Amino acid sequence: MSDPRPIIRAEGLTRKFGDFVAVDDLTLRVVPGAIFAFLGANGSGKSTTIRMLIGVLTPTAGEIEVDGIDVIRHPRRVRDHIGYMGQKVSLYQGLSLLENVEFYGGLYGVGKRDLSDRWGALAERLDLRSAENEHPGNLPAGVRQRAGLALSTLHRPRVLFLDEPTAGVDVHNRALFWELIQDEADTGVTVFVTTHFLEEADYCDWVCFIDSGRLTADAAPEELRRRFSTGYRLHLAAAPHAADSGEAAAAIARLGHALERSGLGVHYGEGGIDLTASALEPALLRTLGELQTNHPGVRVAVEQPQMTDVFRAMVSRSTG
Amino acid sequence: MNGTPLPEIRLRGLRKSFGERTALRGIDLAVAGPQIVGVVGPDGAGKTTLLRAVVGLLDIEADEASVLGHDLRGDVTELKSILGYVPQVFSLYRELTVNENLRVVGRLNRLDGRELEARARPLLERTGLAPFGERQTGALSGGMKQKLAIACALLSNPRLLVLDEPTAGVDVLARDEIWAILKERHREVLILISTSYLEEVEACDRLVYLDDGRAIATGTPGELRAHVPLELYRAWGDDPRAIARAARALPYVIGARATGTFARVEVSRDRTPGVERVLADLGALDGAPVALAESTPVDTESTLLALARGASAADAAQTQARG
Repeated sequence: MSDPRPIIRAEGLTRKFGDFVAVDDLTLRVVPGAIFAFLGANGSGKSTTIRMLIGVLTPTAGEIEVDGIDVIRHPRRVRDHIGYMGQKVSLYQGLSLLENVEFYGGLYGVGKRDLSDRWGALAERLDLRSAENEHPGNLPAGVRQRAGLALSTLHRPRVLFLDEPTAGVDVHNRALFWELIQDEADTGVTVFVTTHFLEEADYCDWVCFIDSGRLTADAAPEELRRRFSTGYRLHLAAAPHAADSGEAAAAIARLGHALERSGLGVHYGEGGIDLTASALEPALLRTLGELQTNHPGVRVAVEQPQMTDVFRAMVSRSTG
Repeated sequence: MNGTPLPEIRLRGLRKSFGERTALRGIDLAVAGPQIVGVVGPDGAGKTTLLRAVVGLLDIEADEASVLGHDLRGDVTELKSILGYVPQVFSLYRELTVNENLRVVGRLNRLDGRELEARARPLLERTGLAPFGERQTGALSGGMKQKLAIACALLSNPRLLVLDEPTAGVDVLARDEIWAILKERHREVLILISTSYLEEVEACDRLVYLDDGRAIATGTPGELRAHVPLELYRAWGDDPRAIARAARALPYVIGARATGTFARVEVSRDRTPGVERVLADLGALDGAPVALAESTPVDTESTLLALARGASAADAAQTQARG
């Protein structure tokens, strides 16, 4: 992730509270338009780092640049460039959602007509129209989270910081929320996000893992799988009732021998073959796809290492 | 456990309203014996209300409402003293230390000093809180707070333990520890737990799926997976988001979503043209090259999404019928 020029850059970031070192010599680089997962255990230094990146907490040492702005020297100036949403969405309880929008729009200095256009588009996309006149206390958690996302992007920030945006949100609303985050990233917004739902790391382009204030992993999700799991397992078999099941079985066996010669782990069983691979390389996927195209009776089952297990392995290695 | 009756919950037509708002619309639930029962469903479905009703915190209406042999419609003072409850919002004293909180709960349970010590020590050891006995509770991490809440709830050796999202916002290691504690006890204790984590839903012995104040499905995780009328496919390729978009255009696809490496494609079991045809169609998506398509068993994520969709479809049908 060294190229292109990062939109978030932190060098040697350190924060002490008395003798306690909450964040310890952290270096981060985030490329524009990426969805960047920042993960770690409770108390590992995630929130302290985010508070420094958004300019509300001064580091003990280090440098921070967000969207070209030196955050330590100009903590106020960076706020026009970023949006922030915490786990507890900050909506004024006494105001309706629409009144909250007007209030936040004013804070961000968004002009009236611009705000009306922007909110119109957001409300449509995030399905918030019917909630406009509701007070936040009456909104279900999922709607409240979507409203929080809308408010944090009212001023079209270039970088969005989301601190556990899906905590306590049900599976349906989490799925919806991630589609919206991906849409934001597609428009060029950089998303910096923390979560304890580790399967959500798969929606991200890049993952950093922090433990006791130190960075212990900094890689794409697939790279983490490669390093911290026993790899993918694939099962290839002929569908029992397929018209070409005999030919399919023979083709599977031939492919097994070929893959074995290329150094892949292959086990032959009565029901087909099992492969293990540290990663699903495009070439292997293509080979399997072609096999399936030529022999429709071929069934492939992929067992992907779960991100939750990858993290367990990562943590046990970093602590033990 | 000889001579002790099985922990049991029997609810029929359990109803609860808060003013104009109906939270529970007639819940039927029968569970007997030690096990972990997961209460799942969308936000606002009534999960917290159901759990609060079961621990005797709410005035409810019901045709039958028996928990550990106590009628929820009558005096529940004794019931409250024999169950453990961990509410969604952390409810211990933040300004007291870990040990002081345990002492307060011990006193409420009328444990004398020696008995309290004998029960608290193994719980502190088991939860890893022993070195933090003198730490102020408010200064504990999120995971430690929840472990303390569970230790306090277990202090009375309850036969029923009710936990409302005890792992929300808790990291994976602390979650693992919490679940190890629950798993150790699930042969002696009936555990009722609500959670949003898919992994935890799968770890339950039995699930109750709530939607809009009704229990619309109950069964083991496997039974619920088998029950939803779905087929699940995965399509692997360079651009999973484009694949998901293109897959949504297939007439029998009811949902498609991209992860980093593949698109999950859900197909209606009523409309599927068969596995072979679906695989071929996915392999030939317009403008979204799929390297490999596979048919895969329906998982918990798709099951919960399908139940949510099914419930809203049923609501729409009812509304239409009424209209």
